[in-house]
Amino acid sequence: MRGKPGDEAMKRIFIKEEYCLGCRLCEIYCQVKHSKSKKIIKAFKEELVDVLPRVLVEEIGHNAFAIQCRHCVDAPCVAACISGAMQKNKNTGVVTCDEEKCVGCWSCIMACPYGAIKRDLVGRKIASKCDLCEDEDIPVCVKNCPNEALEFRDTGE
Amino acid sequence: MDKGNIMSNDSIDYLIIGNSASGLAAAESIRELDGQGRIVILTEEEYENYSKPLITYYLAGRISAGRIYLKEESFYRENNIGLLTGARVISINTGNNSLKTEDGRSFEYIRLLIASGGKPIVPEIRHSTAGKERKKNLERYIDGSNYGNIGGIFTLTTLKDAIAIKEYIGKNKIDNICILGGGLIGLKSAEAFLETGMKITIIELADRILAATFDREASGIIENTIRSAGNGIYTGNTIEEIFTDNGRISGCRLKDGSQIECGMLIIAVGVVPGISITRGTGIKTSRGILVDDHMKTSVKNVYASGDVVESMDILLGENRNIAIWPLAVRQGYVAGNNMAGGEKSYSGGFFMNSVEILGIPSVSMGLTNVEASGDGSVEVKKELKTDRRQYKKVVIRDNRISGLIMVGNIERAGIYAGLIKNRIDISGIKQDIFREDFGILHLPSNYRKHLVVGEGIEV
Repeated sequence: MRGKPGDEAMKRIFIKEEYCLGCRLCEIYCQVKHSKSKKIIKAFKEELVDVLPRVLVEEIGHNAFAIQCRHCVDAPCVAACISGAMQKNKNTGVVTCDEEKCVGCWSCIMACPYGAIKRDLVGRKIASKCDLCEDEDIPVCVKNCPNEALEFRDTGE
Repeated sequence: MDKGNIMSNDSIDYLIIGNSASGLAAAESIRELDGQGRIVILTEEEYENYSKPLITYYLAGRISAGRIYLKEESFYRENNIGLLTGARVISINTGNNSLKTEDGRSFEYIRLLIASGGKPIVPEIRHSTAGKERKKNLERYIDGSNYGNIGGIFTLTTLKDAIAIKEYIGKNKIDNICILGGGLIGLKSAEAFLETGMKITIIELADRILAATFDREASGIIENTIRSAGNGIYTGNTIEEIFTDNGRISGCRLKDGSQIECGMLIIAVGVVPGISITRGTGIKTSRGILVDDHMKTSVKNVYASGDVVESMDILLGENRNIAIWPLAVRQGYVAGNNMAGGEKSYSGGFFMNSVEILGIPSVSMGLTNVEASGDGSVEVKKELKTDRRQYKKVVIRDNRISGLIMVGNIERAGIYAGLIKNRIDISGIKQDIFREDFGILHLPSNYRKHLVVGEGIEV
């Protein structure tokens, strides 16, 4: 657990653009985390094609940075969602997509100013996005960044 | 059906007409500020809090009837919100803060929100019968008041409509459907019917489908896809006469003389704000109910939000009816906040829509049917990849994006929505906006910082 329910001092991922090397390890660990086996070799040999990374590394020349859902205070994807799948947790502020409820209308993709939501076309078409690795102490993209270009800390700090 | 604390003679603190996106967002927003005040929602529908845009997904069989509900069943109880279904409001008396429903009940309110949405238009169409029925004295024209008397003619804006359509298709083994109107509702219906393997014929008055939001190239991709799957599209055309057989629709004749057989007709020519309940109230209306940036109407203690209002279009700089889900939610939230004593304002919006036809996703937003101007103040950039059924168009006015169409590839479309909403000057990045990898890194540095620095800042 991170913080108590109702505790608005929420932890978020902060991007430190100047430190990103563009190594894409965050993407790889995100894919593994969201694979079935959660094992890097097995995931990459057998499941990779089926698992989208929910963090995206952008790169122009030597400039690079990794971006994932910002879990906006006033999330446009939640307002745009027609199925009730995209929800902002009242206690933690984390925005998640209930994949069972999602109908793949792509309204969230149309609304997200970060371009942080993808179409997952394997199986039932649904929206795919960062869930902040809610069952981990630290999201795997942050934990495995070799240059600390991603940071996980309280929003107030 | 009644849920919660409806029966009481005291005035209702917050009375809400409409139980869809806007009404529900308002109720939730009121509860954020006022945990105690009495909230009652009235809806003329029989079903609770379902998602209207999902009715075509229900028709397509992509979701079960149980999945169409937005909220858990416990939502009203947990939030202490009263709900009255089957309650059609027939008159509002703003003089003594009360309203009457069709079943003869009256309610007094302290604050009222009208979030009653839009109503489908049914044009007058000549009607002829075949065979023995000729002798019977049947209506010679159908219109909004009597189309329901003929089997197989439907509008499609409510769950009740969708259930009736599904039943009719099953019972009469329908596999051939005419859709009058190639706009958003027409195309969302088409999407559903095509997914279930039906043959469809779309009849559209304009020179192309989705004429209000797509240009010729974008419409062309969708039209070709629909046609090549063996379906018909008639543009610049309309239905002049319908034929019935044994009280059921059997076909129609178009303006150009074409005759089409069909087992069902969906009338999807448009939706208008349902403002008839404001008659005699002094609430100012134009095409929709007029509101200020607090979603207040011209009458004290009466608010309005969602598809029933005209609100600020930030691209036109004037009020107009933009009947889309995200704005209905946002407006409902603002209305509820103000009703409960808050001070949030509505900053305006612009049109946007996402529709997927036969596996081709598409997004359109802002003002898309715009030509480049001679003085260079309006630029139009287009990229058509016919072989890949992909198209992208960006309209730039005074160095700011004011319109976007993406067909075939809609990845990261929201980045453009952010640029439109925040009126970002893109003069320095015009050469980048058509890059395959166009992303946050290409954005003007101030805006990028605004997006990236700190936690999810509202944009």
